[in-house]
Amino acid sequence: MKYILEVNQLKKEFKDFKLDSISFKLEPGYIMGFIGPNGAGKSTTIKLIMNLLKKDGGEIKVFGKDHIKHEKEIKDRIGFVYDQNYYYEDLTINQMRNIVASFYSKWDDKQFNHYMSQFNLNPKSKIRTLSKGMKMKFSLAIALSHHADLIIMDEPTSGLDPVFRREILDILYDIIQDENKSIFFSTHITTDLEKIADYITFINDGKIVFSQSKDKILESYAIVKGGPELLDDSTRKKFLGLRETKFGFEGLTDDLDLFKRNFGDRVLIERASLEDIMVYSVRG
Amino acid sequence: MLAVLKKDLILLISNKRELIFMLFYIPFLIFTVDSYDPKMLYFTIIVTFAYLTSLSSFYHDIDGKGKYILNSLPITARRIVLYKYASIFFHLVISIVYAGIYLWIINLAGITIVDYFNIEMIFKAIPIVMLIISIIFPAYILFEPRIAQIINMLVFLGFLIGMVNLGALGEKSFIKMIGIFQGNSLTYLAIIMYLLSLLLSMVLYQKKDL
Repeated sequence: MKYILEVNQLKKEFKDFKLDSISFKLEPGYIMGFIGPNGAGKSTTIKLIMNLLKKDGGEIKVFGKDHIKHEKEIKDRIGFVYDQNYYYEDLTINQMRNIVASFYSKWDDKQFNHYMSQFNLNPKSKIRTLSKGMKMKFSLAIALSHHADLIIMDEPTSGLDPVFRREILDILYDIIQDENKSIFFSTHITTDLEKIADYITFINDGKIVFSQSKDKILESYAIVKGGPELLDDSTRKKFLGLRETKFGFEGLTDDLDLFKRNFGDRVLIERASLEDIMVYSVRG
Repeated sequence: MLAVLKKDLILLISNKRELIFMLFYIPFLIFTVDSYDPKMLYFTIIVTFAYLTSLSSFYHDIDGKGKYILNSLPITARRIVLYKYASIFFHLVISIVYAGIYLWIINLAGITIVDYFNIEMIFKAIPIVMLIISIIFPAYILFEPRIAQIINMLVFLGFLIGMVNLGALGEKSFIKMIGIFQGNSLTYLAIIMYLLSLLLSMVLYQKKDL
């Protein structure tokens, strides 16, 4: 099995949104960040991978197998964390654990109890009474307690404080030390990805903008800054995204050499962050 | 299957609203339903209990928030539907045990004399529950919740009106006239409807976007 997750030409159409033949691949042992603005298609893609939504076309393979033909076997090896709590609110943590544990072939109570104490969760607490962060911790504890080989997370860090966000990232980093495991997670907090992701897939308006290694992306893109006198119509077209003020401009490019050649020292070139890439690409 | 039943049982005993309903529903029926035949009260209790607990569990997992969790666990959509249909018999057993204990205590306390176990009525209740479920379950998969709830209400009202009609008019009631409780035709109809409904629900649920 070369790829732990393969999405090929995946299509899904709704009344007001279309996921347009998206493709990307994730190898074992890596973390892939799935970024994009709200409504870009991140949650739709994750729901399609989990077969919660039915695809209109294309192919999804998990662990080298079709995700529908081998659904049960595949889901036994996936840990999932969603952007909101879908667990039964009337139950206690312990009751919910009892329910979920019966479905997995490799459920590990020891591991679950370890995360319960690490996250300071009381097994007798009702899920309804947990804060957003605590609910996320609980979801994460469930996802990590059945020896999953692929962890799929939809916006796991949104709405969480920086301390807990860092705690989650550290745990994910630990998991990935096992080279057979992979993590696929969507987020719009791109700074989280800059810390731990190996690959970045950027989706915008239902289309994949890029799916590459993080280092290559950060090498390929740059922010160019300069005075307003340098801009003309042909120069403007060479930016992927441009912000102009009366004092100057700031733009994103993936053709750094062109700007170096044409403007030399008259422009300031800076490293683009993932957030810059996302913001400029979306706004244009 | 056991994992799904375990989940249903844990949900049933931890849902306060359902517990309160279970606690007060039997006295409510005893004091409001004036049946020409005391056996019919037992029948009504068994049917409504089994039906409402089955529907509650089905709704939790097919249309409620729980659908995302259940469908993300290692279980296929076909199995979920199959187990939901099979679990109506589990809910029937729970209803029989619960109603039996509750009505036995009522008899013992001398509040009123009612059947607390009646095998004839249990055998009559099974096809009725199967029939009701055969209509309601696919409705919840096929339609949006509001329409499904209207269908559910109509079917349940139909059942209650039938029971009231039977209780008030006895041998002259519409139920007796069409002979629902005579012979095996109802059982055969229930089995056919149940199997067709199961197959339809499996197909619909596999194609449904959650």
